[in-house]
Amino acid sequence: MTVSRILRTLVLYTACVISCGAGVADDFAIPPPVRELIQNTCVKCHNADTAEGGFDVARLSFELTDRASRRRWILIHDRIQRGEMPPNSDDLAPQRRAAVVNSLGSAIHNADLADVVQHGRGPMRRLNRDEYQQNLRDVLALPTLDIRDILPEDREQHLFNKTTETLDISRVQLTAYLEAAEAALLQAIASGIAPPATQKFRAVGRKLFQETSTFGNRQAMFFSRDSAALDNKQLDAAADDPGIELALFRSAHWPYYGYPRDFVAPLPGEYRVRFSARAVLQLPGFKLTPATAPQPMTFRARKRSGPDVSGDVRATGGLLDIQPQRATYTTGVRLLKTETFEYSLLGLPVPLARNVNNGPPTYRYPPFPKQGQPGVAIDWLEIEGPLSPSTWPPPSHRILFDELPIRASQDANGLPVEVLTDQPQAEARRLLRRFVKRAARRPVTDEALLGFEGLILSRLKQDVPFAEAMISGYQAFLCSRHVLYLREPLAARDHFAIASRLSHLLTNTRPDERLLELAARQQLRDPEILRSETQRLIASPGFDRFVKNFTDYWLNLKHLYRDEPHAGLYPEYRFDAYLVESMERETRTFFRAMVRDNLPASVVVKSDFAYVNDRLATHYRLAVGKQPIHGSAMRKVVLPADSPYGGLLTQAAVLKVTANGSSTSPVIRGAWVMERLLGQPPPPPPESVPAVEPDVRGAKTIRELLARHTQAKSCAECHARFDPVGFGLENYDILGGWRTRYRGLSAGQRITGIDRAGHDFAYGLTSAIDAGGQLPDGRRFDDIHQLKELLVADTRQLARNLLQQFTVYTTGTPVRFSDRREIERLLDTCAANGYRVGDLLQALVHSKIVLGPAGCGEPQSESTSP
Amino acid sequence: MNMCNSVPIPTRPSRRAFLRGLGVTLALPWLESLPRACGAAQPAAPPCRMLLISNNLGVLPQPFFPRQTGGDYELSPYLSELAELRDDFTVFSGLSHPDVAGGHSTENCFLTGARGPTRSGFRNSISLDQFAAEALGPLTRFRTLNLGVNIDKANRSLSWTRNGILLPAEDSASALFQRMFVQNDGAGLRRQLRRLEERGSILDTLLDDARRFGRSLGADDNRRLDQYLTSVREIEQRLDAARVWETRPKPVTNQAAPVDIPDKKLFFEKFDLMLSMAQLALESDSTRIVTLMVDAFATPIFKLHENQNTTDGYHNLSHHGQAADKVQQLEDADRQQMTLLRQLLRNLADKREGERRLLDHTMVLYGSNMGDSNTHDNTNLPILLAGGGFTHGQHLAFHRENNTPLANLYLSMLHRLGVETDVFASSDGTLSGLSVTPV
Repeated sequence: MTVSRILRTLVLYTACVISCGAGVADDFAIPPPVRELIQNTCVKCHNADTAEGGFDVARLSFELTDRASRRRWILIHDRIQRGEMPPNSDDLAPQRRAAVVNSLGSAIHNADLADVVQHGRGPMRRLNRDEYQQNLRDVLALPTLDIRDILPEDREQHLFNKTTETLDISRVQLTAYLEAAEAALLQAIASGIAPPATQKFRAVGRKLFQETSTFGNRQAMFFSRDSAALDNKQLDAAADDPGIELALFRSAHWPYYGYPRDFVAPLPGEYRVRFSARAVLQLPGFKLTPATAPQPMTFRARKRSGPDVSGDVRATGGLLDIQPQRATYTTGVRLLKTETFEYSLLGLPVPLARNVNNGPPTYRYPPFPKQGQPGVAIDWLEIEGPLSPSTWPPPSHRILFDELPIRASQDANGLPVEVLTDQPQAEARRLLRRFVKRAARRPVTDEALLGFEGLILSRLKQDVPFAEAMISGYQAFLCSRHVLYLREPLAARDHFAIASRLSHLLTNTRPDERLLELAARQQLRDPEILRSETQRLIASPGFDRFVKNFTDYWLNLKHLYRDEPHAGLYPEYRFDAYLVESMERETRTFFRAMVRDNLPASVVVKSDFAYVNDRLATHYRLAVGKQPIHGSAMRKVVLPADSPYGGLLTQAAVLKVTANGSSTSPVIRGAWVMERLLGQPPPPPPESVPAVEPDVRGAKTIRELLARHTQAKSCAECHARFDPVGFGLENYDILGGWRTRYRGLSAGQRITGIDRAGHDFAYGLTSAIDAGGQLPDGRRFDDIHQLKELLVADTRQLARNLLQQFTVYTTGTPVRFSDRREIERLLDTCAANGYRVGDLLQALVHSKIVLGPAGCGEPQSESTSP
Repeated sequence: MNMCNSVPIPTRPSRRAFLRGLGVTLALPWLESLPRACGAAQPAAPPCRMLLISNNLGVLPQPFFPRQTGGDYELSPYLSELAELRDDFTVFSGLSHPDVAGGHSTENCFLTGARGPTRSGFRNSISLDQFAAEALGPLTRFRTLNLGVNIDKANRSLSWTRNGILLPAEDSASALFQRMFVQNDGAGLRRQLRRLEERGSILDTLLDDARRFGRSLGADDNRRLDQYLTSVREIEQRLDAARVWETRPKPVTNQAAPVDIPDKKLFFEKFDLMLSMAQLALESDSTRIVTLMVDAFATPIFKLHENQNTTDGYHNLSHHGQAADKVQQLEDADRQQMTLLRQLLRNLADKREGERRLLDHTMVLYGSNMGDSNTHDNTNLPILLAGGGFTHGQHLAFHRENNTPLANLYLSMLHRLGVETDVFASSDGTLSGLSVTPV
């Protein structure tokens, strides 16, 4: 019955082919090898009665022009290609399988390509909030403009927040864009007829610190002269003595407040901080001696609210390595109104405050280090700000109003300044055109401008002040489709879309002047120019935004701080913000080098070097007995041959985001690595398969636990794809530290002590770790070294995955079926040089996936009208 | 339909009763609907409201569902936490959204019932709250409030537009408080009115500009542009109401402004705070429709009791595999949430509104898109409806193999709100066995 049914259906398809007729008829006919496979094999399980996997072949139309139907067939194609279907490989001999895959693949490719030619690869997409903020920063020359949080977070798909399909817009979002644009414009206009007064503040002696002591008593902080602590009486007698140093020996963690006395920011803005300091060691008896290594520190902006923090606390001013020789350091801090900033020494202990029997607080430290307790001694500090632009009105104001004169506003509810002109209408027309030229990413026709012009003129007619009317027009333009949407370069002459693609890919913002100029000259399809422009952007400072944004999503670094390490099981990580911050920088530095230094794709899995600083060197157990690694800056070091580190796969940041703070799961790590690093995500479970409830009672080890999980065949099939890689990573703890045994709170060999924040700890070392496994293709490994070798053997797959991730990121649309051949071609071109990441990116940029059907290096169109 | 008659507006005497009965002190006539063509006719009964709560990992099914059915059922372990309110809620079994399977992907469909969330090309549809709000119009300062606990705001929401676009949840209690109760001063008000007027002109400009653009686009681009045009139009449509509400004094409350709890570990504290905000919003008639998504999925290891954190993140716990320690922690967490629900219902029951209790005018739905998180099962959803003037005190059981559409319950709720529609999402009728208690 089922066979007759399928034949009947095939007849129906044929009828459709005949009736749908012209031109595409061939695409509608199921290719003979495929038909044969369906009739002989597939239909046995996937029929109307059993419909295994919720899939009845007879009900499947072969109308590949229909997108839903094409998606089904792609799934079928892929499962046959991977050898997963038919489940019994004897049912399809290799030669026949190849014939099926080829003919089906060609049919789908042709249908998908026809769709791309007709409709484009993907529709236009909205700017996400990061891109919007950066676009406005560049348009308005306000490099620190902060409007991102006015906009709702963007949805993610295919890992990124740049995916067209989920970058929807609703009334809520559009309202937020209107508000963000307004906020940005209000920042851009001069805040008065003169810049805000810059104030200077200088602290010496007592003024360097809010109180004469802080939480943790003298071991945490004291004032000293001639390297010896002063008592309160001595201090009172010499409060402003410039010879006094503030000596600090603890990290900034609750309870703590360590800001200079008597300073708050009178206005929001950027402040310059200069101070003189040296790295010291505290010796018993509260004496100072020069340190042997630099001490990293930063500042934290916060309200002056005592030990308890109200509002947010933000690291600001960057990392400074204070050297043992006294020196002057200069940095900038960004403060909100009434905020101050506190000293934040990195990687130092935190005293535990205890009120024994409700008495006064006492403090507990880890054992005093033999060589002395590292810290910093500061002898003076200056603050100057808020810093104003060197010209007034500021550049951002001139972008809006050019050189028109200003005067103080008469209207308390209006803008801070009035802009004066005797020819408001003519000036409005001129300024609008000038602004649009700067804000749009392609020429805007005069016709398209009329609406915005009309808006301003009608506001002027209603007697709205000139500046306010202009702002309305600017606000409208910044929320119009000209700014909000990116389009793909469909037309051959469209070089502006290429410019925007490149700039949003490599700098997460609008094209700069040079790119726009090249676009106007129709030169961006010239392969050499395209190559050098890509290289220029990769070398530019804006490239850091690509590094941050791409790794935030690809590697999920945006969630790096999500889980706090379990203090009972991992006391060594308690309050160690410096470690987590360092691992974040390591991975971003590494990824930057992957592109800029054109490293081979294999470094995703394995490299013989790492980027580390002082904290990571300890974490990775490097430089024992060798040249010590000092300071907070990341530097490239060659790893010992037996080091289990090297490569993204085993970086602390990756191992942290794949754990939960308490334990590691081979399932979660394995699936994460397969999807993100190896590009082999587990397929979604078929809808109709009933969920199986594993019963894990009695399972003692993680292996037993997973064995229970995978007793059911439907579970085991998928778990076999990702669990093994996860097991290979079991030697790395929740923060990527190397371990050979698991830990438990109660069981196992007891380990006790006092942690870096003064708490007693006690945990047990339990069973030994077995990091061996077997990949789905049958290859076995005993440990991470062997696993890395196995994974790196297929560098092409690592490169393919990178290209796939770059494709979504660049175009907003994942690799389409019709892109697959192009992807393989790109891989071919990069193969000889070992699939280097910079090469891959260049190849993609030069491909039709990014450039549209016209590609590059083809004769340029003469028509230049936009 | 006639919107003006469908929503009852209370009379002034009941307003005074409300003032006496609530922790919210209102310094202005509450519940004056916007002046509309038919605004003069004011029916006597207080308005009906709804609060829709979902925890996206649900509850353990065994201790939740009662064994017996009908009015005579014995309270399950979880429901015994609500024993004192037994006659104020109905527990349902055998409900689910047809064709809404695929584990966690269903979480965004809880109030929409959109089919096939895991299929490629899936698009969500309008959620219950938005459907009701569209029909009811701008009766309150906020047509709806969409709240969240620990929510991944970018990717999850209970609230979706007609085009299937996510409406982000608010997870800051202090921001909500500001919007509901903190009054613009005179200058701020004038500025705001000027902005709204300006915004009208800006929107007109954007609409014209985008329409002109649309003529040059293909079908796919046009769908994207259509979202944009719809958004412009929807903001425009809401401007008039925004203007009117802007000039009206906000209600005054004697509650202190809340302090946000940023720490995701403090899951119950955050949930409790958001329930209070929902209650405050409904009591002050700032809105009549509130959704609250409890994003257990995005909740990391959390505080279960003083000095006791869970051993795993909420999601990992939910895949307990019958491991005793995990089941125990989940039961603990589920029960604490039932306790929070009891507190909310008790508060609503303690307040008089006109002749009846505030609870009798407020439908509180508590449920989940997960029937059993351990197995990613999306059938037999745990659903509980309290208040709203229905006859409660029963376990309304439907077929466990062949579930009844959950949207049938939603349709019954829409009718209760005064929304006249024959169908919502996948409903095939109102829910049988659920009736309104005659007053």
